[in-house]
Amino acid sequence: MTRERSAGPVGRVVATEQKPSTPHQFFFWAAVDAPVGIGAIVRVETEERTVHAVVTDGAAYADLQNAIHDVMATDGDPAALPAPSARTEIRLYLASVLRHEPPEPLQPVPLAPVWLASDVDVKVALRMDGYCDGERATGVPVGVYAAGGLEAPVLLDCDFLLGPEAAHLNISGVSGLATKTSAAEFLLASIFQKFPAHKGSIAAVCFNVKGPDLCFLDQPAELQDEDRRLYDRLGLIPEPFRSTHYYAPFKADGVNLNTLRTHESLTGSTEPLVWGLREILDFAEVVMNRDDVDAKADAFIDFLGERVVGRTFHDELLRHEPFEVQTFADLEEFFRAIFDFLESMGRGGEVWRTHHIATIRKVRNRLGNISTRAKGLVTDDGAANDLPWGAFEDRGLYVLDVAGIDPLAQDLVFARVVSKLREHLERRDLGVEHVVVFVDELNKYAPSDGPETYVRKMLLDLSERGRYLGLVLFSAQQFRSQVLRRVVGNAGTSLFGRMDSDELATPGYSTLSAATRSKLASLPKGELMLRHPHFTQPVFVRFPRPAVLTGREGVTRFPPTPDLPFADAVARQLKSLDRSIGVEAVRELLHDRREDDVRRALGATRRTRPDDVLAYFRTLLGRRVPSEAPAERRHAVRPVAMPEDPYL
Amino acid sequence: MFASRCNQLRKSLALRGLVAASGMPEAAGRQEEACVVPARLVEGSALAVREVGAPEAWPGPLAFLDGVQRSEVVAYAGTSPLIVAEVAAGIRLRTGRQLRTVEQERLLFIAGRAEALSLAAPALGSMPQFHIEDKGPLHPLRDLELARRLVDRVRGNLELSVYDRFRGSHDEWLVVDGSLSVSPALAADDRAVGVSKSHSALPFDGQDMERYLHLPAGFRSSMFMPGGERAPVVAWALRLWPFEGRDLLHGLVRIEMAPRQASPDRADEVSRWLLAERTPLSADARWDRLLYGIHSVEQHLKAGAR
Repeated sequence: MTRERSAGPVGRVVATEQKPSTPHQFFFWAAVDAPVGIGAIVRVETEERTVHAVVTDGAAYADLQNAIHDVMATDGDPAALPAPSARTEIRLYLASVLRHEPPEPLQPVPLAPVWLASDVDVKVALRMDGYCDGERATGVPVGVYAAGGLEAPVLLDCDFLLGPEAAHLNISGVSGLATKTSAAEFLLASIFQKFPAHKGSIAAVCFNVKGPDLCFLDQPAELQDEDRRLYDRLGLIPEPFRSTHYYAPFKADGVNLNTLRTHESLTGSTEPLVWGLREILDFAEVVMNRDDVDAKADAFIDFLGERVVGRTFHDELLRHEPFEVQTFADLEEFFRAIFDFLESMGRGGEVWRTHHIATIRKVRNRLGNISTRAKGLVTDDGAANDLPWGAFEDRGLYVLDVAGIDPLAQDLVFARVVSKLREHLERRDLGVEHVVVFVDELNKYAPSDGPETYVRKMLLDLSERGRYLGLVLFSAQQFRSQVLRRVVGNAGTSLFGRMDSDELATPGYSTLSAATRSKLASLPKGELMLRHPHFTQPVFVRFPRPAVLTGREGVTRFPPTPDLPFADAVARQLKSLDRSIGVEAVRELLHDRREDDVRRALGATRRTRPDDVLAYFRTLLGRRVPSEAPAERRHAVRPVAMPEDPYL
Repeated sequence: MFASRCNQLRKSLALRGLVAASGMPEAAGRQEEACVVPARLVEGSALAVREVGAPEAWPGPLAFLDGVQRSEVVAYAGTSPLIVAEVAAGIRLRTGRQLRTVEQERLLFIAGRAEALSLAAPALGSMPQFHIEDKGPLHPLRDLELARRLVDRVRGNLELSVYDRFRGSHDEWLVVDGSLSVSPALAADDRAVGVSKSHSALPFDGQDMERYLHLPAGFRSSMFMPGGERAPVVAWALRLWPFEGRDLLHGLVRIEMAPRQASPDRADEVSRWLLAERTPLSADARWDRLLYGIHSVEQHLKAGAR
């Protein structure tokens, strides 16, 4: 923070009765060639008072009294040569006050010279002096304020970005130009590097919901010198995330991962995300639409969760042998037994253990629907491969690639992961004390209108109460106006990239000046408008491109491989555990094996991670893997047709 | 009703060969000073009008000199008025279309009869005092007129003062608001051009006056040497804007140059340069004759008034 401005003011405060100077804004004029623009931070200084402000609007006019005079002067010829003398022109700027020193008594801005801000001024103007210095500093770089040749680092206050004072970040802007994903990646990297030790540990969970956006955060990008210079200015190291953990569900075949990170050199670092019936049942509400959610369905799901799934359930009326429901297949068998029993009762056979057959059918239909639509995420064998609950690493980045799965399954993943994070953070046994959850396309998950969904309720709860737990939402969307107001309203920090002009015309942006809105509509890539609780006015910042590969670069450098044949895909999975395993050996081993058996053995091998992978796998193939579904293939559950149900 | 009747009359009078007019332009000269001071033609034997050609940009940098003044009665000593005046003069130099002030000077003073000033002295501090010299009987209105002339003189002297300083370090062309003949130095300056908006004193009478005042836009009159006892200059009239439908004096300026510089070709050339200076228009009621550079000096001086 040493750079000093060259001597000399750039303007002077002016006040007239029509345009007076007030405690919150003032006008000043500047030379035509002064490096002042919208978003520039300026300082007004007298002996008694120093005022920092940001330029929010500007106007220029000359001493031309009437436009017709210009026509007259040129004889109506627009191509006439320019007049020999340039008219006297004024550049009049409106500045909104960021800070008064002293703060009391709060008085109108004095009529005094105006100076462009220096590094120190930017720090003071944005109140960063209150949290960027000292042993318990909490500043995290978000970019540089750049104006008039000055580049001053701008830091966010962790206490207000990640809790407990305020929390959450929301990013808005049009697709492709607003650099929303880049901004989130850069800020996460900055947090990981600068999150102060006295604040504890932190991890991030990112949901990749479209294309390859977040698929290559562990791969270094080739940065330009300008980007490196910005990193240096911000005191950051341009490097990819050091500890990344990728998770992706399988495709329907259960062996090929449903992700664009399938290049051979990357597959070893991508874990399958596989859940069983137990994991799904806890979040059955996610798959229910509003009409489904009633006390009866709730009661039956509770009954299943508490008495049936994962336990030994015995009912002589249904079957002599006890039920051991571990998988969807087991569950279907259980439902089938209930229906057989009720059918055998004839008239009056509509209720089983106080649960009406219609309720049972509805729950069966919804649960069965998941296993169909989320095939690959939901396993039939009951064995889950999940995030490392309880063992999250400090500065660990956990990316869940759910871009390729059904929206219903995405909702399910999102709901369960966030709920589990919350649960563990409440119990303080997650492994880290703070978790940032990054969700793109927030308008899809928490729309301002549309039905009340579990995910929307959960996001609202997260935005309103998450900061007390250390659970922080970083979200992004094209149109902020289309997101539930309470969710974005709870974001203490907001970033705005290039905006659509229709969006800027919505009431949410009415507090911005026309010039600021105009600047927002044409912001270049890498520049953002920033709101933060310490900043009394929005400021514009520039940030370097993230030091990781973008999705587009990633798929070019690491082109996804096509789905492999079953045996080859299994070989690749095993090879990720032991690189010495050859494809041919696996092919030979799988010859004439049933795919279900192979998948079960593969899952068990993956969970166990034995020293001799191939031998263990071979052993498992040779016998029935414990807690398996019945050997015979079951009939698919046909969902009940409910035309009004948007999920069908 | 009145306006409509006037317009009807203008049309019918114009049809009869008269020159329609709609009002005397501002600051075209003090009516009480209106006179004819016969001039001597120095170009041809009879007053002629010549088209000067298309406007041409002034070559190189160009400076503009002007002065401003204001005055106010602040007290009477008996019946003798005391007048406070502020005068200022400045020069702005144009380079690359941009005007910037290179010289300026201001003076705040008090004017009155000697007796009145001595009575007021204890309250005047160090403020400069200028005496109104008059041996006639005291009349407040007469004193005010004398004070006005005094302020005019002081401003004129201030203009000459800034001119002297300017010429000490600059050799650019200089356009002066008003007559060059007020000073021998100015009148002899080879790179000075006087532009006078006032036509209180006309150089010709009779048919020549009509020819002089009916000069078409873009034309100049023959060169002449104005009469009177002031420093000798060569002058000609130039019409900057069409006057038809407005007034005979609309857009009419008198140009002055040092006699040794004056030639018909030079007069044409300077006239073309001045035609180019018509734009941009000055934001002023005198826009038809007030060059923007002069206007700029005036604005600068007024804005800096105490």
